[in-house]
Amino acid sequence: MAMRQTPLTCSGHTRPVVDLAFSGITPYTNVTLVSSLLLLSDGKPMLRQGDTGDWIGTFLGHKGAVWGATLNTDATKAATAAADFTAKVWDAVSGDEVLTLAHKHIVKTVNFTQDSNCLLTGGNDKLLRIYDLSCPEAAPQEIAGHSSAIKKALWCNDDKQILSAAEDKTIRLWDRSSMEEVKMLTFDTSVSSMEYMADGEILAITYGKTIAFYNALSLDLIKTVEAPAPINSASLHPEKDFFVAGGDDFKLYKFDYTTKEELESYKGHFGPVHCVRFSPDGELYASGSEDGTLRLWQTAVGKTYGLWKCVLPEDLGAENSEQLYTSPTEIKA
Amino acid sequence: MVTPVSVLRMPKGPDPNSRGFDPKSPRFIALCRPSIPTSAVSDADAEQLQKEQHARSVLRERFLRCVLSMTNKNVRFHMHERVKVEATFGASDIDVLNFQVSDLHTPIGVQKEALIRSQDVISFTFDI
Repeated sequence: MAMRQTPLTCSGHTRPVVDLAFSGITPYTNVTLVSSLLLLSDGKPMLRQGDTGDWIGTFLGHKGAVWGATLNTDATKAATAAADFTAKVWDAVSGDEVLTLAHKHIVKTVNFTQDSNCLLTGGNDKLLRIYDLSCPEAAPQEIAGHSSAIKKALWCNDDKQILSAAEDKTIRLWDRSSMEEVKMLTFDTSVSSMEYMADGEILAITYGKTIAFYNALSLDLIKTVEAPAPINSASLHPEKDFFVAGGDDFKLYKFDYTTKEELESYKGHFGPVHCVRFSPDGELYASGSEDGTLRLWQTAVGKTYGLWKCVLPEDLGAENSEQLYTSPTEIKA
Repeated sequence: MVTPVSVLRMPKGPDPNSRGFDPKSPRFIALCRPSIPTSAVSDADAEQLQKEQHARSVLRERFLRCVLSMTNKNVRFHMHERVKVEATFGASDIDVLNFQVSDLHTPIGVQKEALIRSQDVISFTFDI
Protein backbone atom coordinates (compact mmCIF):
# COMPACT_ATOMS: atom_id res chain seq x y z
CA MET A 1 0.00 0.00 0.00
CA ALA A 2 1.57 3.28 -1.07
CA MET A 3 1.74 5.97 1.59
CA ARG A 4 1.62 9.70 0.99
CA GLN A 5 3.62 12.04 3.19
CA THR A 6 1.54 13.94 5.77
CA PRO A 7 3.56 16.96 6.87
CA LEU A 8 2.83 18.31 10.35
CA THR A 9 2.18 22.03 10.32
CA CYS A 10 3.28 23.84 13.46
CA SER A 11 0.90 26.67 14.01
CA GLY A 12 1.20 29.89 15.92
CA HIS A 13 3.51 32.07 13.89
CA THR A 14 2.32 35.12 12.04
CA ARG A 15 5.53 36.15 10.36
CA PRO A 16 8.09 34.33 8.18
CA VAL A 17 10.18 31.62 9.76
CA VAL A 18 13.69 32.67 8.84
CA ASP A 19 15.89 30.20 10.64
CA LEU A 20 15.70 27.01 12.62
CA ALA A 21 18.18 24.88 14.54
CA PHE A 22 18.06 21.49 16.20
CA SER A 23 19.99 20.67 19.33
CA GLY A 24 21.72 17.35 19.79
CA ILE A 25 19.74 14.44 21.24
CA THR A 26 19.21 14.92 24.96
CA PRO A 27 18.14 12.39 27.60
CA TYR A 28 14.55 13.02 28.59
CA THR A 29 12.45 11.18 31.15
CA ASN A 30 15.11 8.47 31.08
CA VAL A 31 13.45 6.88 28.09
CA THR A 32 12.73 9.13 25.19
CA LEU A 33 15.48 11.02 23.51
CA VAL A 34 14.44 14.22 21.88
CA SER A 35 16.05 17.20 20.36
CA SER A 36 14.81 20.73 20.71
CA LEU A 37 13.92 22.86 17.78
CA LEU A 38 14.48 26.60 17.87
CA LEU A 39 12.89 28.77 15.25
CA LEU A 40 12.55 32.43 14.53
CA SER A 41 9.39 34.15 13.57
CA ASP A 42 7.71 37.44 14.49
CA GLY A 43 11.14 38.38 15.80
CA LYS A 44 10.39 35.97 18.67
CA PRO A 45 12.52 32.87 18.97
CA MET A 46 10.43 29.83 19.91
CA LEU A 47 11.53 26.51 21.28
CA ARG A 48 9.67 23.41 20.18
CA GLN A 49 10.07 19.72 20.89
CA GLY A 50 12.17 18.17 18.12
CA ASP A 51 10.13 15.03 17.52
CA THR A 52 6.58 16.36 17.69
CA GLY A 53 6.85 20.08 17.03
CA ASP A 54 4.98 20.83 20.27
CA TRP A 55 5.67 24.34 21.52
CA ILE A 56 7.81 24.52 24.68
CA GLY A 57 8.30 28.26 25.14
CA THR A 58 9.13 31.63 23.60
CA PHE A 59 12.20 33.70 24.40
CA LEU A 60 11.01 37.22 25.08
CA GLY A 61 13.35 40.18 25.33
CA HIS A 62 14.68 41.30 21.97
CA LYS A 63 13.54 44.69 20.72
CA GLY A 64 14.03 43.99 17.04
CA ALA A 65 13.84 41.26 14.41
CA VAL A 66 15.82 38.16 15.36
CA TRP A 67 18.01 37.00 12.49
CA GLY A 68 19.96 34.11 13.88
CA ALA A 69 19.52 31.59 16.67
CA THR A 70 21.30 28.54 17.92
CA LEU A 71 21.09 25.93 20.67
CA ASN A 72 24.01 24.35 22.47
CA THR A 73 24.45 20.59 22.10
CA ASP A 74 22.41 19.55 25.14
CA ALA A 75 19.69 22.19 24.60
CA THR A 76 20.29 23.88 27.95
CA LYS A 77 21.31 27.19 26.41
CA ALA A 78 20.15 29.22 23.43
CA ALA A 79 21.68 32.26 21.77
CA THR A 80 20.02 34.76 19.46
CA ALA A 81 21.25 37.53 17.14
CA ALA A 82 18.99 40.50 16.48
CA ALA A 83 18.46 43.75 14.68
CA ASP A 84 18.45 45.58 18.02
CA PHE A 85 22.28 45.42 17.89
CA THR A 86 22.47 42.73 20.57
CA ALA A 87 23.14 39.05 20.85
CA LYS A 88 21.47 37.36 23.83
CA VAL A 89 22.17 34.13 25.68
CA TRP A 90 19.19 32.33 27.24
CA ASP A 91 18.59 29.51 29.67
CA ALA A 92 16.75 27.08 27.39
CA VAL A 93 15.19 25.23 30.33
CA SER A 94 13.61 28.16 32.16
CA GLY A 95 13.39 30.57 29.21
CA ASP A 96 15.17 33.29 31.20
CA GLU A 97 17.52 35.75 29.56
CA VAL A 98 21.00 35.16 30.92
CA LEU A 99 23.20 37.63 29.04
CA THR A 100 22.95 40.58 26.64
CA LEU A 101 25.99 41.31 24.48
CA ALA A 102 25.95 44.77 22.95
CA HIS A 103 27.21 45.20 19.38
CA LYS A 104 27.69 48.21 17.14
CA HIS A 105 25.30 47.07 14.43
CA ILE A 106 22.72 44.41 13.52
CA VAL A 107 23.87 40.97 14.64
CA LYS A 108 23.12 38.19 12.16
CA THR A 109 24.67 34.98 13.43
CA VAL A 110 25.57 33.25 16.70
CA ASN A 111 27.25 29.91 17.41
CA PHE A 112 28.32 28.09 20.62
CA THR A 113 31.53 26.10 20.99
CA GLN A 114 31.00 22.41 21.81
CA ASP A 115 31.60 23.04 25.53
CA SER A 116 29.19 26.02 25.43
CA ASN A 117 31.87 28.25 26.97
CA CYS A 118 32.40 30.61 24.05
CA LEU A 119 29.98 32.38 21.73
CA LEU A 120 30.87 33.46 18.21
CA THR A 121 28.91 36.38 16.72
CA GLY A 122 28.88 38.15 13.39
CA GLY A 123 26.82 40.82 11.71
CA ASN A 124 26.59 44.01 9.75
CA ASP A 125 29.66 45.61 11.31
CA LYS A 126 31.72 43.04 9.36
CA LEU A 127 33.53 41.79 12.48
CA LEU A 128 33.60 38.33 14.00
CA ARG A 129 33.53 38.40 17.79
CA ILE A 130 34.39 35.69 20.30
CA TYR A 131 32.86 36.07 23.77
CA ASP A 132 34.03 34.11 26.78
CA LEU A 133 30.76 33.29 28.53
CA SER A 134 32.47 32.67 31.86
CA CYS A 135 33.56 36.34 31.97
CA PRO A 136 31.13 38.19 29.72
CA GLU A 137 32.14 41.68 30.87
CA ALA A 138 35.56 41.15 29.30
CA ALA A 139 35.95 42.63 25.83
CA PRO A 140 35.45 40.02 23.10
CA GLN A 141 38.21 39.05 20.71
CA GLU A 142 37.57 40.56 17.28
CA ILE A 143 38.48 39.26 13.84
CA ALA A 144 38.34 41.69 10.92
CA GLY A 145 38.67 40.90 7.23
CA HIS A 146 35.32 40.64 5.53
CA SER A 147 34.46 43.62 3.34
CA SER A 148 30.73 43.45 3.90
CA ALA A 149 28.09 42.18 6.34
CA ILE A 150 28.63 38.71 7.80
CA LYS A 151 25.66 36.37 7.30
CA LYS A 152 26.83 33.20 9.01
CA ALA A 153 29.70 32.21 11.28
CA LEU A 154 30.42 28.71 12.57
CA TRP A 155 33.00 27.06 14.81
CA CYS A 156 34.77 24.21 13.08
CA ASN A 157 37.55 21.67 13.38
CA ASP A 158 36.96 21.03 17.08
CA ASP A 159 36.45 24.77 17.74
CA LYS A 160 40.01 25.48 16.61
CA GLN A 161 38.85 27.31 13.52
CA ILE A 162 36.05 29.62 12.42
CA LEU A 163 34.20 29.59 9.12
CA SER A 164 32.34 32.72 8.04
CA ALA A 165 30.18 33.66 5.04
CA ALA A 166 29.52 37.29 4.09
CA GLU A 167 27.75 39.47 1.55
CA ASP A 168 31.14 40.03 -0.07
CA LYS A 169 30.55 36.63 -1.77
CA THR A 170 33.37 34.96 0.15
CA ILE A 171 33.57 32.21 2.71
CA ARG A 172 36.65 32.52 4.89
CA LEU A 173 38.34 30.10 7.24
CA TRP A 174 40.14 31.59 10.26
CA ASP A 175 42.48 30.12 12.83
CA ARG A 176 41.13 30.80 16.32
CA SER A 177 44.45 31.25 18.13
CA SER A 178 46.28 33.36 15.55
CA MET A 179 43.03 35.08 14.42
CA GLU A 180 44.44 34.97 10.89
CA GLU A 181 42.69 34.06 7.67
CA VAL A 182 43.70 30.57 6.56
CA LYS A 183 41.63 30.03 3.41
CA MET A 184 39.08 31.84 1.27
CA LEU A 185 36.43 30.54 -1.15
CA THR A 186 34.97 33.01 -3.66
CA PHE A 187 31.63 32.72 -5.38
CA ASP A 188 29.90 34.56 -8.22
CA THR A 189 26.83 35.15 -6.17
CA SER A 190 25.96 35.57 -2.51
CA VAL A 191 25.84 32.37 -0.49
CA SER A 192 22.31 31.71 0.84
CA SER A 193 23.22 29.16 3.50
CA MET A 194 26.18 27.35 5.03
CA GLU A 195 25.92 24.43 7.48
CA TYR A 196 27.95 21.54 8.79
CA MET A 197 26.42 18.10 8.33
CA ALA A 198 27.16 14.49 9.20
CA ASP A 199 28.91 15.22 12.49
CA GLY A 200 31.03 18.04 11.09
CA GLU A 201 32.51 16.00 8.23
CA ILE A 202 30.76 17.77 5.40
CA LEU A 203 30.02 21.42 4.75
CA ALA A 204 26.90 22.19 2.69
CA ILE A 205 26.71 25.56 0.94
CA THR A 206 23.84 26.85 -1.17
CA TYR A 207 23.96 29.64 -3.74
CA GLY A 208 21.71 30.27 -6.73
CA LYS A 209 20.25 26.90 -7.75
CA THR A 210 23.33 25.04 -6.53
CA ILE A 211 23.84 22.90 -3.48
CA ALA A 212 27.57 22.33 -2.97
CA PHE A 213 29.18 19.84 -0.61
CA TYR A 214 32.71 20.37 0.68
CA ASN A 215 35.08 18.37 2.83
CA ALA A 216 34.81 20.21 6.14
CA LEU A 217 38.49 20.07 7.05
CA SER A 218 40.21 20.70 3.73
CA LEU A 219 37.43 22.76 2.14
CA ASP A 220 37.88 20.72 -1.03
CA LEU A 221 34.77 20.52 -3.17
CA ILE A 222 33.18 17.07 -3.10
CA LYS A 223 30.25 17.64 -5.46
CA THR A 224 27.61 20.11 -6.59
CA VAL A 225 23.97 19.43 -7.38
CA GLU A 226 21.69 21.68 -9.41
CA ALA A 227 18.08 22.14 -8.29
CA PRO A 228 15.15 23.25 -10.46
CA ALA A 229 14.83 26.55 -8.56
CA PRO A 230 16.94 28.96 -6.47
CA ILE A 231 17.71 27.26 -3.17
CA ASN A 232 17.83 28.97 0.21
CA SER A 233 18.76 26.07 2.43
CA ALA A 234 19.78 22.41 2.31
CA SER A 235 20.38 19.64 4.82
CA LEU A 236 22.15 16.29 4.47
CA HIS A 237 20.76 13.23 6.26
CA PRO A 238 23.07 12.05 9.10
CA GLU A 239 23.70 8.81 7.20
CA LYS A 240 24.67 10.74 4.07
CA ASP A 241 22.34 8.84 1.76
CA PHE A 242 20.17 11.76 0.77
CA PHE A 243 19.64 15.46 1.32
CA VAL A 244 16.72 17.88 1.25
CA ALA A 245 16.62 21.41 -0.10
CA GLY A 246 14.08 24.20 -0.29
CA GLY A 247 13.91 27.59 -1.91
CA ASP A 248 11.99 30.17 -3.86
CA ASP A 249 9.52 27.87 -5.66
CA PHE A 250 7.93 26.90 -2.30
CA LYS A 251 8.76 23.21 -2.79
CA LEU A 252 10.92 20.83 -0.79
CA TYR A 253 13.21 18.60 -2.84
CA LYS A 254 14.73 15.30 -1.82
CA PHE A 255 17.87 14.18 -3.65
CA ASP A 256 19.95 11.02 -3.55
CA TYR A 257 23.36 12.19 -2.28
CA THR A 258 25.35 9.53 -4.14
CA THR A 259 23.66 9.71 -7.54
CA LYS A 260 22.51 13.37 -7.30
CA GLU A 261 19.16 12.23 -8.64
CA GLU A 262 16.02 14.11 -7.59
CA LEU A 263 13.90 11.55 -5.70
CA GLU A 264 10.83 13.49 -4.56
CA SER A 265 9.46 16.95 -4.32
CA TYR A 266 6.76 18.11 -1.93
CA LYS A 267 4.40 21.00 -2.24
CA GLY A 268 2.85 22.32 0.93
CA HIS A 269 4.31 25.69 1.77
CA PHE A 270 2.62 28.85 0.52
CA GLY A 271 5.77 30.88 0.36
CA PRO A 272 9.52 30.53 -0.26
CA VAL A 273 11.26 28.02 2.00
CA HIS A 274 13.91 29.83 4.05
CA CYS A 275 15.41 26.99 6.05
CA VAL A 276 15.37 23.21 6.15
CA ARG A 277 17.13 20.91 8.62
CA PHE A 278 17.24 17.24 9.44
CA SER A 279 16.70 16.32 13.08
CA PRO A 280 19.82 14.82 14.70
CA ASP A 281 18.35 11.29 14.56
CA GLY A 282 17.46 11.76 10.89
CA GLU A 283 13.84 10.67 11.42
CA LEU A 284 12.34 13.92 10.24
CA TYR A 285 13.25 17.23 8.66
CA ALA A 286 11.79 20.62 9.46
CA SER A 287 11.17 23.42 6.96
CA GLY A 288 10.47 27.06 7.73
CA SER A 289 8.83 29.33 5.22
CA GLU A 290 7.88 32.90 4.37
CA ASP A 291 4.26 31.73 4.86
CA GLY A 292 4.86 31.75 8.61
CA THR A 293 4.66 28.01 9.07
CA LEU A 294 7.08 25.39 10.26
CA ARG A 295 6.43 21.96 8.77
CA LEU A 296 7.78 18.62 9.88
CA TRP A 297 8.29 15.92 7.23
CA GLN A 298 8.95 12.22 7.74
CA THR A 299 12.12 10.72 6.38
CA ALA A 300 10.58 7.24 6.20
CA VAL A 301 7.03 7.93 5.10
CA GLY A 302 4.52 5.80 6.99
CA LYS A 303 6.74 4.93 9.93
CA THR A 304 5.45 5.37 13.49
CA TYR A 305 7.43 8.24 14.99
CA GLY A 306 6.46 11.30 17.00
CA LEU A 307 2.93 12.16 15.98
CA TRP A 308 2.90 9.96 12.88
CA LYS A 309 1.24 6.61 13.23
CA CYS A 310 1.78 3.57 11.06
CA VAL A 311 -1.67 2.21 10.26
CA LEU A 312 -1.96 -1.30 8.83
CA PRO A 313 -4.48 -1.88 5.99
CA GLU A 314 -6.86 -3.90 8.19
CA ASP A 315 -7.15 -1.04 10.70
CA LEU A 316 -8.28 1.50 8.14
CA GLY A 317 -12.06 1.97 8.18
CA ALA A 318 -12.47 -0.23 11.27
CA GLU A 319 -13.77 1.09 14.60
CA ASN A 320 -10.77 2.42 16.37
CA SER A 321 -10.67 3.64 19.97
CA GLU A 322 -7.72 5.88 19.19
CA GLN A 323 -8.30 9.19 17.49
CA LEU A 324 -6.72 8.90 14.11
CA TYR A 325 -7.28 11.29 11.30
CA THR A 326 -5.63 12.23 8.08
CA SER A 327 -4.94 15.88 7.49
CA PRO A 328 -6.13 17.63 4.32
CA THR A 329 -4.41 16.25 1.24
CA GLU A 330 -0.98 17.60 0.50
CA ILE A 331 -0.20 17.41 -3.16
CA LYS A 332 2.87 15.51 -4.16
CA ALA A 333 4.34 17.51 -7.01
CA MET B 1 -4.53 3.94 -4.05
CA VAL B 2 -2.18 6.24 -2.23
CA THR B 3 -3.14 6.67 1.42
CA PRO B 4 -1.95 9.68 3.41
CA VAL B 5 -0.04 8.79 6.59
CA SER B 6 -2.20 8.97 9.72
CA VAL B 7 -1.43 11.46 12.41
CA LEU B 8 -2.35 11.34 16.12
CA ARG B 9 -2.89 15.07 16.39
CA MET B 10 -1.42 18.36 15.20
CA PRO B 11 1.62 19.79 17.03
CA LYS B 12 0.63 22.00 19.95
CA GLY B 13 0.93 25.71 19.28
CA PRO B 14 2.05 28.54 21.56
CA ASP B 15 -0.07 29.50 24.57
CA PRO B 16 -1.21 33.09 24.04
CA ASN B 17 -1.20 33.72 27.79
CA SER B 18 2.26 32.60 28.76
CA ARG B 19 5.78 32.37 27.46
CA GLY B 20 5.92 28.66 28.22
CA PHE B 21 8.81 26.68 29.75
CA ASP B 22 6.37 25.01 32.15
CA PRO B 23 8.29 23.97 35.29
CA LYS B 24 5.98 20.96 35.64
CA SER B 25 6.78 19.64 32.17
CA PRO B 26 8.83 16.43 31.87
CA ARG B 27 11.41 18.32 29.82
CA PHE B 28 11.97 20.95 32.52
CA ILE B 29 12.26 18.30 35.23
CA ALA B 30 14.67 16.23 33.14
CA LEU B 31 16.96 19.11 32.14
CA CYS B 32 16.79 21.34 35.20
CA ARG B 33 19.84 21.01 37.36
CA PRO B 34 18.71 19.79 40.79
CA SER B 35 19.84 21.67 43.89
CA ILE B 36 21.12 18.50 45.54
CA PRO B 37 24.42 17.65 43.82
CA THR B 38 24.27 13.89 44.14
CA SER B 39 20.82 13.67 42.54
CA ALA B 40 22.25 14.86 39.26
CA VAL B 41 25.13 12.48 38.70
CA SER B 42 24.90 8.73 38.61
CA ASP B 43 28.52 8.08 39.52
CA ALA B 44 28.45 10.32 42.59
CA ASP B 45 31.22 10.62 45.09
CA ALA B 46 30.51 7.99 47.76
CA GLU B 47 31.51 10.28 50.61
CA GLN B 48 29.29 13.09 49.35
CA LEU B 49 26.44 10.62 48.96
CA GLN B 50 26.86 9.44 52.52
CA LYS B 51 26.91 12.99 53.86
CA GLU B 52 23.73 13.86 52.02
CA GLN B 53 22.00 10.69 53.12
CA HIS B 54 22.97 11.41 56.72
CA ALA B 55 21.55 14.92 56.40
CA ARG B 56 18.34 13.46 54.99
CA SER B 57 18.03 11.06 57.94
CA VAL B 58 18.59 13.83 60.47
CA LEU B 59 15.97 16.06 58.87
CA ARG B 60 13.46 13.22 58.61
CA GLU B 61 13.93 12.21 62.23
CA ARG B 62 13.56 15.82 63.33
CA PHE B 63 10.32 16.13 61.40
CA LEU B 64 8.87 12.90 62.80
CA ARG B 65 9.71 13.88 66.37
CA CYS B 66 8.08 17.23 65.75
CA VAL B 67 4.87 15.61 64.57
CA LEU B 68 4.96 13.24 67.56
CA SER B 69 5.29 16.06 70.05
CA MET B 70 2.33 17.89 68.50
CA THR B 71 -0.17 15.25 69.65
CA ASN B 72 -3.02 16.76 71.68
CA LYS B 73 -1.46 20.21 71.48
CA ASN B 74 -3.16 23.32 70.19
CA VAL B 75 -1.87 24.02 66.67
CA ARG B 76 -2.43 27.05 64.46
CA PHE B 77 -2.57 26.27 60.73
CA HIS B 78 -1.75 28.91 58.19
CA MET B 79 -3.29 27.84 54.88
CA HIS B 80 -3.88 29.02 51.31
CA GLU B 81 -6.45 31.72 50.55
CA ARG B 82 -5.49 33.53 53.77
CA VAL B 83 -7.05 30.86 55.99
CA LYS B 84 -5.86 30.71 59.59
CA VAL B 85 -7.43 28.07 61.82
CA GLU B 86 -6.75 26.55 65.19
CA ALA B 87 -7.27 22.97 66.27
CA THR B 88 -6.08 20.24 68.58
CA PHE B 89 -3.68 18.04 66.67
CA GLY B 90 -4.41 14.34 66.52
CA ALA B 91 -2.17 12.59 64.05
CA SER B 92 -0.76 12.60 60.56
CA ASP B 93 -1.20 9.76 58.06
CA ILE B 94 1.89 7.86 56.93
CA ASP B 95 2.43 9.86 53.75
CA VAL B 96 1.73 13.20 55.47
CA LEU B 97 -1.19 13.81 53.13
CA ASN B 98 -3.79 14.46 55.84
CA PHE B 99 -3.80 15.70 59.42
CA GLN B 100 -6.47 14.45 61.78
CA VAL B 101 -7.56 17.23 64.15
CA SER B 102 -10.23 17.82 66.78
CA ASP B 103 -12.11 21.01 67.72
CA LEU B 104 -11.21 22.81 64.53
CA HIS B 105 -12.14 26.48 64.96
CA THR B 106 -13.48 27.81 61.68
CA PRO B 107 -15.28 31.10 60.82
CA ILE B 108 -18.53 29.13 60.62
CA GLY B 109 -18.16 27.22 63.86
CA VAL B 110 -16.20 24.56 65.66
CA GLN B 111 -15.82 21.23 63.86
CA LYS B 112 -15.51 18.37 66.37
CA GLU B 113 -13.43 16.17 64.14
CA ALA B 114 -11.80 17.09 60.84
CA LEU B 115 -9.21 16.06 58.32
CA ILE B 116 -6.97 18.79 56.99
CA ARG B 117 -5.36 18.23 53.60
CA SER B 118 -1.66 18.88 54.09
CA GLN B 119 -1.31 20.23 50.53
CA ASP B 120 -3.47 23.17 51.59
CA VAL B 121 -1.23 23.98 54.57
CA ILE B 122 1.50 26.58 54.14
CA SER B 123 2.78 26.41 57.70
CA PHE B 124 1.69 25.51 61.24
CA THR B 125 2.87 26.57 64.67
CA PHE B 126 2.50 25.23 68.18
CA ASP B 127 4.02 25.79 71.57
CA ILE B 128 6.21 22.99 72.86
